[in-house]
Amino acid sequence: MTATTRAISRIRQELVIDPSAGLRLRRAIQDTGSVLWRDVIRTTRQPEMLAFAVVMGVFFLVLFNYVFGGSIGAGARIDYLAFLVPGVFVITALQGAQQTSLGLAADLAEGVTDRFRSLPMSQLAVIAGRTIADAMRNVAGLILVALLALLMGYRFASLGGALAAIALATAVGYGFSWLGAAIAAKIRQPDMVGMLSMFWLFPLMLASTAFSPAETMPGWLQPFVKYQPISAASDAVRALANGTAAGADVSLTAGWVALLLIVFVPLSLRLYRKVD
Amino acid sequence: MITTGSSTSDSPAVVIEARSLTKSYGDVRALQELSFSVRAGQVVGLLGPNGAGKTTAIKMMTTLTSIDKGSAAINGFDVSARPDEVRQLIGLAGQSAAVDEKLTARENLELFGRLYKIPRGERRRRVAGLIDQFDMGQFADRTAGTYSGGERRRLDVVAALIADPPALFLDEPTTGLDPRSRAELWNAISMLAAQGTAIVLTTQYLEEADRLAGDILIIDHGRVVASGTPETLKRQLRRDVLEVHVAADEDVAAALAIVGPVVGVTTDTPSRRIGIPVGDGAARSLDLLRALQDGGIAIADFQLRRPTLDDVFLVLTGSATIETEEAPS
Repeated sequence: MTATTRAISRIRQELVIDPSAGLRLRRAIQDTGSVLWRDVIRTTRQPEMLAFAVVMGVFFLVLFNYVFGGSIGAGARIDYLAFLVPGVFVITALQGAQQTSLGLAADLAEGVTDRFRSLPMSQLAVIAGRTIADAMRNVAGLILVALLALLMGYRFASLGGALAAIALATAVGYGFSWLGAAIAAKIRQPDMVGMLSMFWLFPLMLASTAFSPAETMPGWLQPFVKYQPISAASDAVRALANGTAAGADVSLTAGWVALLLIVFVPLSLRLYRKVD
Repeated sequence: MITTGSSTSDSPAVVIEARSLTKSYGDVRALQELSFSVRAGQVVGLLGPNGAGKTTAIKMMTTLTSIDKGSAAINGFDVSARPDEVRQLIGLAGQSAAVDEKLTARENLELFGRLYKIPRGERRRRVAGLIDQFDMGQFADRTAGTYSGGERRRLDVVAALIADPPALFLDEPTTGLDPRSRAELWNAISMLAAQGTAIVLTTQYLEEADRLAGDILIIDHGRVVASGTPETLKRQLRRDVLEVHVAADEDVAAALAIVGPVVGVTTDTPSRRIGIPVGDGAARSLDLLRALQDGGIAIADFQLRRPTLDDVFLVLTGSATIETEEAPS
């Protein structure tokens, strides 16, 4: 070794060889915290992303209520605003999940993930940190949408119901974030990812009970509409927000979120790690 | 294959070792049989045109790309089998490892420091020290997206240094830099090597390889076409030219007569300059100069023009036609 004096002290760390499962988990959590810290800073530097996440919800809330509200409400004999607001919650959360896709694809395109890959860190943390940051932004977006709904005259059944509704919508968004992450890790081109997300989101969103009751749709479509995740989530969030009996819908929604996580957490990690 | 460096027992330990690294993408052979080793404090330059396979080699050695055949090891840890250990020992900068453009330099360094698990106090000191040492204070708190090319490259490289890795991979670190920033970065790289870091540097700039690398591997189409120290490579060409500037017009013909029939002599009569290929060596030049002097030719000026690495590079990568002893077919 050379005996040159060094401008800054060497800090060579002790090498961690073959860490135990416990240590590995601790480090993965630590890494997720670091990536989350980074993504939160990014989010605060891009307030337009929050605006973008909320703007869809705002559009749907305003347009559907004032444009379609009259006909759907009268046809189904319901208070349409009370029907619509929880549906818009779910849509807003899904919109936030799109941004997981776009953000991760941008990371992959920019090359910063290659730096991450060369670092001694948990690779799952790169996605986990981002999904958590997106979930946090979703909570902020949902609060904004809730405030707008209140302005429009909507009333939650209770504060607890409002919080539970926001929490469940966020959980649904979180599950879909991992689907978005898998798409981004597979496709890796921000433009393509944006388009592909529309493919699953739009049909699922419109053929659901987010905006109108299943009974108003053709019979052949109803089985799909009733059990698909966005409907289940809309019905469950609606029951929590409006204080009606929720049991089965909440379980079904929780089941969907669990399924999304079970499938897409390992899949997105595998796709993300895949190197040529 | 030419071995690089001598290995006495006093030599610093081998830090980076590549053995027959081979990689194909479909039918395209991106890299074939790349072997070399880098000791602590040594800089090895991978020199080649775009698409030669340099970045592929770097990616294979830094766990970013799988290895088809052959192997690589850092401090004895096999890159394929022990990537977690390897990642603790390497720093990567350049083409294939960007920084976060929405974060400031300080935040980027903080982030990478956290991910290397450097304890907080040490991390703070280290980040501040690097910003100071690399003169980044003026822009350290602006987001990286606003940086000039030079500032950006500096952050790229410094980000690879945050954990003070024993093995450093710099993938075209100075591409697109202005001469001043490039010189600064060169100084930094030399200093890191002097501190005992083993460095692999890829570059398209011959000047850069010449200046920084003790050993150079010239890569073209995925294959090593020559390797050795910059001096050895230049010597392989045997293309030294003695350029003599004759003082008087009437002496040009006389001088040519004294030089005699040498293949490749060039004469520029108006400026009274004669270029004489002298092969490899100063001895022949001295003989010639003495002969000219004995012949009563007044010499205004002379110089021995050695081939540059550019010449070597052009010859070996097939863009020039001159045959050398070890040029491949």
